[in-house]
Amino acid sequence: MATTQVERYSFDVVRWFTVMAVVYLVVGTLLGVYIASELAWPVLNFDLAELSFGRLRPLHTNAVIFAFGGCVLMATAFYSVQRTCGVRLWSDKLAWFTFWGWNLIIVGAVITLPLGLTSGKEYAELEWPLDIAIALVWIAYTVNFVMTVATRKTSHIYVSNWFFMGMMVMITYLHVVNSLAIPVGLWDSYSVFSGVQDAMIQWWWGHNAVGFYLTAGFLGIMYYFVPKQANRPIFSYRLSVIHFWALMFGYVWLGAHHLQYTALPDWTGSLGAAVSLAMIIPSWGGAINGMMTLSGAWDKLRDDYILRFLIMSLAFYAMSTFEGPVMSAKTVNALSHYTDWTVGHVHSGALGWVAMVASGAIYHMVEKLWDTRIYSPKLVNTHFWLATIGTVVYITAMWVSGIMQGMMWRMYDDNGVLLYTFAESVYEMHPYYAMRAIGGMIFWLGGAIMLYNVVMTIRQAAGRRVSAAVATA
Amino acid sequence: MAGLREYFQTDWAAMTLADWIGTIVTLGIFCLMIWAYVYAFHPKNRERLESQRHLPFADDDKIETEKRT
Repeated sequence: MATTQVERYSFDVVRWFTVMAVVYLVVGTLLGVYIASELAWPVLNFDLAELSFGRLRPLHTNAVIFAFGGCVLMATAFYSVQRTCGVRLWSDKLAWFTFWGWNLIIVGAVITLPLGLTSGKEYAELEWPLDIAIALVWIAYTVNFVMTVATRKTSHIYVSNWFFMGMMVMITYLHVVNSLAIPVGLWDSYSVFSGVQDAMIQWWWGHNAVGFYLTAGFLGIMYYFVPKQANRPIFSYRLSVIHFWALMFGYVWLGAHHLQYTALPDWTGSLGAAVSLAMIIPSWGGAINGMMTLSGAWDKLRDDYILRFLIMSLAFYAMSTFEGPVMSAKTVNALSHYTDWTVGHVHSGALGWVAMVASGAIYHMVEKLWDTRIYSPKLVNTHFWLATIGTVVYITAMWVSGIMQGMMWRMYDDNGVLLYTFAESVYEMHPYYAMRAIGGMIFWLGGAIMLYNVVMTIRQAAGRRVSAAVATA
Repeated sequence: MAGLREYFQTDWAAMTLADWIGTIVTLGIFCLMIWAYVYAFHPKNRERLESQRHLPFADDDKIETEKRT
């Protein structure tokens, strides 16, 4: 009987997800820079519907959340579950189905969204055929992960796997319910919910896409990759247990804080805000847990640029999880809602937390998966500073612009007449919109450098393997 | 005190099935959270839980291969 030498773990699919994640980071953020530039310089719309802000904005959010974020989550979950369970993935075929299925859905988004084929639900714009495809691929991903955990060689299930499983279960539930619709054509459908219930379901999904997909999933990444990169165990395992359960129990309540001062019953918004404020405790517990992993070894940050990404991401995580609850409180929400402050808050989480922790994990995995060192650590450092500065420029511009908008919209004269028209507030936003586009461009440049560095690292590793094979022959 | 009682005044007879399900789920989750805090921070569970911190380091990070037939 013939025997072959194979990798102990299924890493080929992880390698593909990793490379695609970096490609989507560059493409998704470039789209973001373009639409930010359209807001500052509307001439960039070129009077083409397919290039207009309204069409490209959902393409940007789908590209960064589902294309980039999805590939990161799939790469890191499949990588760390094998490492922490001591077994190969339960099914290679299902893993490849997940890879090709997810990427074909992204192709579907690239075609349909610029054509204006959308269900109109925020962060769930894709029409029903693609929604069904998402459900199938996501379930394949979940089943493969859960079955890998079920067949593990270790007795305990490490906390990162709990976070990944929590995300998978909740996103299945949220996506299916939020996408329930009656098709009236191949690319046209109506939500089964209407009025205030539709709004409630929409933001139940919308906030939990943030809470479970972009937070719980990426916390799974944090709990595996921070200890591994720092080569130190997590500061407190008990705190991670509390962090997990508090997040699972708490996050599902928050969506209503997006609907303060609307037709929704007043108490639902108040409940959403109250639980949001309570969530500061576990969120900060988790952030401190990650940072304190470096306790007594802070010097590692001096020359480990990958670790810098991971720790800086936790600083942004702490900041965003404080800012969000404050913005959900009704008094603050009266000023902040519908303004650019919300956009700034989202990006402090998306760029500062999600993209930073993902970049750290990707650099870590590239070294391990290709059994090499990063082509240029200096370029990792350059990427780190561009990402940090780009994020800070972006969110500062949006803070100033958002608070200014909120103030202008609520100023009255002695007769109770608004002092400013809406158009006047738009005019005042221009310098901040330009500043936001520049901040986004700086962040994008860091991503482009990362893509170059990752490609060169892979080429370097491939070249070394060829040399070694020639030498052996 | 009267103000507080007035604030929490509830027309129990008007509670719908959905209200009752929501109330029971809320209180259930609240109790489970209390249990989770007590379990995680009870001194007798400390060693058992904290020993799992080292689990990711059982793996040596190498791209290991094995023979397969």
